[in-house]
Amino acid sequence: MKLWSPFSGGQAKVGRLAPRKPSLAGLTIGVLDNGKPNAGVLLHRVAELLAARTGAAGVRGWSKPSAARPAEILDDIAKDAHVVLTGSAD
Amino acid sequence: MPAVVLGTDAFLSLAKATSAKHGLPHMPVALVPHPLGGIAAETARAKADAILDEVLRGLTTAPATPAATAAAGPTLVEAPDDLDGLQGWAMEHEWSDGLPVLPPTEARVAKILGRRAGDELVATLMPLDGRATLHAIAVNAALAGAGPEHLPVIVAALRAVAKPEFNLNAIQCTTHPCTPLVIVNGPIATRLGVAGGPNALGNGHRANAVIGRAVRLVLQNVGGARPGREDRATLGHPGKFTYCLAENEAQSPWEPLSVERGFGRDESTVTVCGSEGPHNVNDHGSTTGETLMAAIAGTAATTGSNNIYLAGDPLVILGPEHAQTIASSGWSKAEFKRRFWDAARVPLRKFSAANIERFRLTHPERFQGAGADTLLPFAGKPEDVMVIVAGGPGKHSAIVPTFGATRSVTERIER
Repeated sequence: MKLWSPFSGGQAKVGRLAPRKPSLAGLTIGVLDNGKPNAGVLLHRVAELLAARTGAAGVRGWSKPSAARPAEILDDIAKDAHVVLTGSAD
Repeated sequence: MPAVVLGTDAFLSLAKATSAKHGLPHMPVALVPHPLGGIAAETARAKADAILDEVLRGLTTAPATPAATAAAGPTLVEAPDDLDGLQGWAMEHEWSDGLPVLPPTEARVAKILGRRAGDELVATLMPLDGRATLHAIAVNAALAGAGPEHLPVIVAALRAVAKPEFNLNAIQCTTHPCTPLVIVNGPIATRLGVAGGPNALGNGHRANAVIGRAVRLVLQNVGGARPGREDRATLGHPGKFTYCLAENEAQSPWEPLSVERGFGRDESTVTVCGSEGPHNVNDHGSTTGETLMAAIAGTAATTGSNNIYLAGDPLVILGPEHAQTIASSGWSKAEFKRRFWDAARVPLRKFSAANIERFRLTHPERFQGAGADTLLPFAGKPEDVMVIVAGGPGKHSAIVPTFGATRSVTERIER
C-alpha cells in the first residue's frame, strides 16, 4: 500500500567550510571547551602538542558554561585565534 | 576560521547530525575512544596523541564539498499491505518507536487533517531543524493511532517544545533520561477523555496514549532524534513512548496550572516539561501539610538529580488526597511551593569531592564559596517549582525532575 512518509525535509543546503591554513606556523590555536568532563584536558593537550610540532604562536582557551547551551563567545574567538578546536560529547 | 571537532567515538552520530544541520556535513571530526568523563585527567591527555595527525589534517586540508540534497516535501512510499508485515518494515525504515504502528494512508492522513492546510508550518524541530508542517504532524499522528480530535493538542505541544526556553536541542540529544511531559488543562481534557484521575500516567487511556506518542514520533521522525544516534540517552525512560496526562482540576483545592499562568478556566492549554519519569511519594500516615512535607521533600532532594545542580522548574504532582491534606492545613499553592523549596535540599557534603570540584568549575555562581553544609535547593526559587494535582484515590504523589537546563512552556490549544 502507499503510505505518507513521516519524515519532513530538514536543511538541504551545504555550506562552505572556512579555507584551511597551509600551515599552523606562527598562528594562534584557539580551544573552545564545551564544559564536558575532561573536554578541556583533551583539547588543550591536543592544542599544545600541535603547537610544539608546527611552530604555532600559542594556544588560547575559551569555555562555555554548559554543553547544553549554545556558545555566545564565537565572535571573540574568531577575533583572537586563527584556527579552533572544539568538542562534542561525554 | 578553520575548526575541527573533537569527540568520542560513541558520539560521532551526534557530531555529524549537528554539523549537517548547520549545512556543514563535511566538517572534520577527530575521534578518541569513549569515554572522556569519569576518567583521570592523565588518561584523557593520553588520548590526545593518537589524533594529532587527524586534527592537523583537518585544519590544513580542505575536505571535498558534498553535493546538496533536495529538500523533501510530502512523499508517498510503497509499504507492505499486511499489518504484520508493516511492523518490521516500519522498524527497518526507522518510522516506528517499537510499538505497532497504524498505516498513514492518504485517506487516514486526510481525515486527521480535515480542512487544515497541510503545508502550514507549526514549528522547526531540533536537532535536524525538521519542518513540522501540519501534514508531517498528521502523518505521525496517524502512525500513533491518533484521530483528528487529538491534532490540536499535539500541535500545541509541538509549538511549545520549539520555544527557545524549552531548549529542545539539548532535550533531544542529551544522555539524561528526559522527554516532553504533556500536561493538558481546561475543558478539552474532558471532551477528549485525557485522563487526570486514576492511573493518569499509566495505561488505559487512549487520548493520553496517542497524544503523547504522536508528539514523541514527530520529535523522532521530523526532529531527527533517532534512539542511539542523535538521541544519546544512556537509558531513557518509559515515558519516551508516551507521556501525557490532564490535571485533575475537579479535585484540586487550588487554581489549575493554566490559570496560574494567566489563562482563563474556559481556555484549554498544554504545558510541556523536559521531564524524567515520575518518582513516587508514598505517605499513608501524615495528616498535615507540615508532616507530609518530609516524604515529598525527601523524594525530591536526591544526589543524582539534575535539578540539584542545574536548578530549573521541576514538577510536583500531588495526588488529590495529599493535596487535600496540604490545603486543609491552610496552605495555598504558593505557600506549598515556598515550604517545599525550603525543605527539598541536599547538603553539599553528600556529593563526592570530584563532583563538587566539577560543579565549581561548571557553575561557579552557585558553588564557588559553598561549604560542606551548604544546602542546595531543588529549584532556582520557590515560584519555579511546578505543582499540579492529578491521580485518583490513594496516598501517593510524584516528583518529576527535569533535565534542568530547560523551562516548561504553556501554550493555548487552538481549535
